[in-house]
Amino acid sequence: MSSQTLNKIPLISLVGPPNSGKTTLFNYLSGKKFKTVNYPGSTVEYSISKILSKHAVNADILDSPGIISLIPSSPDEQLSVNTLYSHPKFGKPDIVAVTVDVSQLSRHLYLVKQLLESNFKVVVVLTMTDVLYKKGFDISENKLSSILNCKVVRVNGKTGKGIDSLLTVLKESLNEIEKDSAASLIKADKHHKTKLLESYSEIEKIEKEVLFETDQKSTNGKIDIQKINESIVVLNSAPKFLKADETSLKIDKFILHKFWGLIIFFLIMALTFTSIFWLAAPLMDLVNDGFSFLSENAFTLLGEGLIADLIANGLISGLGSVLVFLPQILILFLILGLLEDSGYLARGAMLIDKPLSKIGLNGKSFVPLLSGFACAIPAMMATRTITNKRERFLTIFIIPLMSCSARLPVYALLIAFLIPQETPWIGGLLLAAIYVFSITSSIIIAAIVNKFSNRLVKEKDNTSFILELPAYRMPKPMRVIQETIKNGKQYVVKAGPVILFLSLLIWILTTFPNYDPVVPVSPDVSPEQTEILKSNERMSTSYAAYLGKFIEPVMAPLGLDWRVGVSLIATFAAREVFVSSMALIFKITEEGDDMQNSILNSMREAKIGDSDQKLFTTATTAGLIVFFVFALQCLSTVAIAKKETGSWRIPVLQVVVFTALAYVFAFVTVNGLRAFGVN
Amino acid sequence: MKTASDLKIGEKAIIKDIDNSHFSSHRILEIGFTPGQEIQLVSSPLFNDPIALMIRGSIIAIRKSDARCIII
Repeated sequence: MSSQTLNKIPLISLVGPPNSGKTTLFNYLSGKKFKTVNYPGSTVEYSISKILSKHAVNADILDSPGIISLIPSSPDEQLSVNTLYSHPKFGKPDIVAVTVDVSQLSRHLYLVKQLLESNFKVVVVLTMTDVLYKKGFDISENKLSSILNCKVVRVNGKTGKGIDSLLTVLKESLNEIEKDSAASLIKADKHHKTKLLESYSEIEKIEKEVLFETDQKSTNGKIDIQKINESIVVLNSAPKFLKADETSLKIDKFILHKFWGLIIFFLIMALTFTSIFWLAAPLMDLVNDGFSFLSENAFTLLGEGLIADLIANGLISGLGSVLVFLPQILILFLILGLLEDSGYLARGAMLIDKPLSKIGLNGKSFVPLLSGFACAIPAMMATRTITNKRERFLTIFIIPLMSCSARLPVYALLIAFLIPQETPWIGGLLLAAIYVFSITSSIIIAAIVNKFSNRLVKEKDNTSFILELPAYRMPKPMRVIQETIKNGKQYVVKAGPVILFLSLLIWILTTFPNYDPVVPVSPDVSPEQTEILKSNERMSTSYAAYLGKFIEPVMAPLGLDWRVGVSLIATFAAREVFVSSMALIFKITEEGDDMQNSILNSMREAKIGDSDQKLFTTATTAGLIVFFVFALQCLSTVAIAKKETGSWRIPVLQVVVFTALAYVFAFVTVNGLRAFGVN
Repeated sequence: MKTASDLKIGEKAIIKDIDNSHFSSHRILEIGFTPGQEIQLVSSPLFNDPIALMIRGSIIAIRKSDARCIII
């Protein structure tokens, strides 16, 4: 294999059905130093890492989305199967380690059989043996190994027991490869039904051979004769002797109850969103205050001047606008991770499948749409689990309407302007109202687009929903926290530089070319007033002002002027720039006040042009909020939509439709409010 | 012809065949719905769709339109 000779370090691919403990195993082997794009719900990209040096196996290990068989039915499975047969960079794997949940042995052995038939060098890793034990059974890995003619290891995901023997086996297998020449791979083709049934009947025979009853069921005091009888009967009539997890079945009586199921669903959703607001808000304030403090101190330390201005207003407030939305992202991903780990997320998807199918979506759109409230980028990648192309594209289409965390600082500022300071709880209500409004609008828009979806994308009418409901279990806090931190880190690394760059760009545009303008000096003007005059003059002769005046005619119908126009242009690259660009444009560096309050004060004083007409009124501020609800202001989202849909069609349509909607609805809001006498 | 979509809550049945002409039939076979296996409808939440079927020790949520190709 030419690809192998190029690649000196051997590659071990980790595959397995969803919920088979694959990622847990990967984390054991790789430590935490792996590159990946993960999100709660599943692995959507492959992750690659070297096996931890303490394990003394010199190999790369690759984790990819879970697969049920080698015949993919959705884009995420396609990715896994492709990486398995030939990874573009790493070639074909030297060893395929496949995880098998022994409590679902027969279903998971199907993939193992396919892999063996395709000539992969397979190492089987048995997981969830504790669950099997609880069901009253155990498995003989030696028997399984001799029947399948491949190596079999048992690993406990909770304690890590068995990892050592797995590593030994991997080492042995790697040595063997160096000796024998690798057999060429056979592509699995769409199995004929009879072939598939043959495979399964072979698997059922294997299952009977390797599984055996343990007598621990009787250890709880009395011997349950009936149960023993049952299992004997079951064993004799074979292949159905594994029952689903009893506890999960009991919990599902409530969670999937016709009435209570719905109540619980809404409660969980309500809790999720309120905790985002209530938990994130104080943390966001903390970030805000921290950066205001830094910015002020920069001036005290460096004195007034260009460098101080660059550091305080350009760099520090730019960084602040990157980090201010981090708490919300972390909290949402934390909750999503907990829901995923506990097994609820799949049930949520099931419960909402019917309503979503009415507007052309799928139950599997549920997780992507939820993630969209943190950030559209992982959300769009998460749509890869949706089998039907039309449903997937429609999900991608409406994801930007989900109120992502980048909008929160914007709403926070505008709401703070609208409501009296003494009654902050109104702000909470208003924010909730904005979320409800944006969800309702996206439902309506999805329903309308669904009517034209045949023109959006041609696809056979093969919509389906088949999803395994994993057994409930206590979420592993460490794992969830690890995943959350990983998500947060990636987000900062990905979005951070863009936002920081834009903040600096805006700083340059608003500071130059007239950095030190000449203002009339007279004895009755104090130095402070001279400073203010200078700063106003600098701003109104800046590059930003020239740019802004171009778009002033567009802004005028919304009751806004070029200054807001400049901020809005900047936000088309990334929304979160709005607050920092407002801060720059309305130049605020008042002592002893935090950034938000000083922006608010300048907003209250801002007038349109030379007139007496106030720039920010209730009507124009409400208009701005509505604008932000609809507008797709995020370059990264456009890029990922292009990548995920494979053409410019969807992203261009999104930008055009959502910008038009934003403008029209903002116009209606401003002028509607004015017509009712609200200014 | 009775299919898995006609099951009542708690009802068990043995799969007779899988309808090949259905676009989901291949996936349904792959995840273990093979003739001779016992299935049970374990829950049927709001709207009665999708339903949750127990098969080979696992619980699978499946739309009624997909379950229609599981002949019992």
